[in-house]
Amino acid sequence: MAQFLQQMINGLSIGSVYALMAVGYSLVYSIMSFSNFAHGGVIMLGSYFGFYLLTLAHWAFPAAFVGAALCSAGLAVIVERVAYRPLRLRNAPFLYFIISAMGASIFLENFVVATIGPTFRTYPTVLPRAPIEIGSVYIGRLDIMIFIISAVCLALLVYFLDRTKVGKAVQATAHNARAAKLMGINTDLVITLVFAIGGLLAGVAGVMFGMKYTVYPQMGGITIKSFIAAVFGGLGSLPGAVIGSLILGIMETLISGYFSSQFRDLISFTLLIAVLVFRPMGLMGKATEEKA
Amino acid sequence: MSIKKKRVFILAACAALCLGLFAQGSAAEKVVKLGWVGSLTGDQAIWGQCELNTVKMMAEELNAAGGLLGAKVEVVGYDHRGDAMECVNAVRRLTSQDKVVCIIGPNASGHAIPIASVLEEMKVPDIATVATNPKVTVVDGKVKPFNFRVCFIDPYQGAVAAGFAYDVLKFTKAAVLYDVADDYSQGLTEFFIKTFTEKGGKIVAKEAFKFGDTDFRPQLSKIKAANPEIIFMPYFFKEVALSSNQARELGIKATLMGGDGWPSEILIQMAKDAVHGSYVVNHLDFDDPEVQDFKTRYTAKYKRAVELNGFLAHDAFLMFVDAAERANSLNPVAIRDALESTDIKGITGNIRINPATHNPEGKEAAIIRIMDGNYVFQQKYAP
Repeated sequence: MAQFLQQMINGLSIGSVYALMAVGYSLVYSIMSFSNFAHGGVIMLGSYFGFYLLTLAHWAFPAAFVGAALCSAGLAVIVERVAYRPLRLRNAPFLYFIISAMGASIFLENFVVATIGPTFRTYPTVLPRAPIEIGSVYIGRLDIMIFIISAVCLALLVYFLDRTKVGKAVQATAHNARAAKLMGINTDLVITLVFAIGGLLAGVAGVMFGMKYTVYPQMGGITIKSFIAAVFGGLGSLPGAVIGSLILGIMETLISGYFSSQFRDLISFTLLIAVLVFRPMGLMGKATEEKA
Repeated sequence: MSIKKKRVFILAACAALCLGLFAQGSAAEKVVKLGWVGSLTGDQAIWGQCELNTVKMMAEELNAAGGLLGAKVEVVGYDHRGDAMECVNAVRRLTSQDKVVCIIGPNASGHAIPIASVLEEMKVPDIATVATNPKVTVVDGKVKPFNFRVCFIDPYQGAVAAGFAYDVLKFTKAAVLYDVADDYSQGLTEFFIKTFTEKGGKIVAKEAFKFGDTDFRPQLSKIKAANPEIIFMPYFFKEVALSSNQARELGIKATLMGGDGWPSEILIQMAKDAVHGSYVVNHLDFDDPEVQDFKTRYTAKYKRAVELNGFLAHDAFLMFVDAAERANSLNPVAIRDALESTDIKGITGNIRINPATHNPEGKEAAIIRIMDGNYVFQQKYAP
């Protein structure tokens, strides 16, 4: 029983890291209808921003945290301007956006390898490593913090989208960009805003990931799992992205805990494919026109 | 002169020049050429340069003492620029153009494996330095006749770790966490488990992860429930740092142990407290008293520290000299035959080549313990 509880906690903590990353994918997808693979690169750079603000600029942790999120938001907006906007203005086919996104992702990774170097870095200790013991179950302080910060970020995002006028504009654009434009919504601004929000979340996720594990140029690769979680939950649906991520995290843990760690990815991804065969829109995905 | 005739003339002139050069070479005093191949550019350059420096220094010292069987040893070294294709070309050039009698290097398995066909065609033996993959000397159960090595193979580290854990540390319950996507990790795991169970120990958990993973807590939670005394972690320092930190966060107090993928400053930076008291199996230790003499000579000559590769290049050179002397010949095939019965004491341990595998067998490994962020040499050990 203790082991089961421990594994559930492990799963939730892995899942909440996936969730922070998956929401960024889903958000951009809901507006632009393509998978922004450069998101992984922005997360990676967000992690580096946080690292350098802490170690070189010696900012206090909360300041560095916010700073890294803002820098990442800026970066995401630049990526949108450079890699996607020219395509959008020319009404380029959907496939071109994905190719451009992959290009941006490869560029960001190699940019870091070439300028900062391929070796990985370690965040200075912000929270003590010693875990909190409850009975025979151990919970990391960092995990609790990540869980809380993820929950707060997601709650703020949902509040913003559902309760504010700008949020409604985002939803309208997601619903139908042309109609929204005809109603007087500046859709270009909305798209920039969505990328900025995606970037903020990427920065938060990057710093969390860097603190929990380490910072290295290839860390964008881990986001492939969160992308899959977003698809599983229903691309374009924020609650879907969160639930898909938590399910993936818990599923992975339980399979390696109770079945076989060698077959973890094999089994968990076979299950995902099976779910998608029966529900191609993902767990929470609605019909394609209802997004965000 | 027509263009055609002109070409023939130039060709003839070139041929004459080449012949002249060859004639000049053979007319000089008796020289035996020893080849070296390795990386002098790129990220492995620091290791390659150290190997070449070592081989050159050893040759100079030998020449000053009268040479090898009356001949002066001349070292011809080529850079393979970290490219397997270039390495094959360099070996072809060494064997066909420079006519070396033996080659030392390359240091990496990926480069040492493809050169076998050239060596066999030209009938020149090669002694690899730090190429630890089993396939460097044996493929499909058959030994490659001209490939030798001076280091022990990857899986052997697993046997050393298991023997040390059971015989010296007196542990009987072990767990293994390994990288399922990596040959190195799998080889070490297999031999660790084989040796440990043969000695009477019990493997209570065997868990895997995949390269690129950053979270090991599901596997570690399972290992924790099995309650081992020692956890063998045969993979590289980044994953070691992450997994050892996570193990301690889950309240695992077992001793940790690993192979030559561990030693690194970054491991200490990231996981100083988590790996405190852990054991590492390595080829040798820089503080081992037996390597001090070579270290001093090298540092005095080149004004820089010796890399791990230098020590193994040192012993590869000893292997070559010993084989030539026992064969009493500078013929490459005679040297090859003698290499098969090598039994010498090098600074990295006793080197006894098994003719069936061309690996030094039963070679001692260095056991190192991590104490308060320092790598502390414990003892040499062979299972």
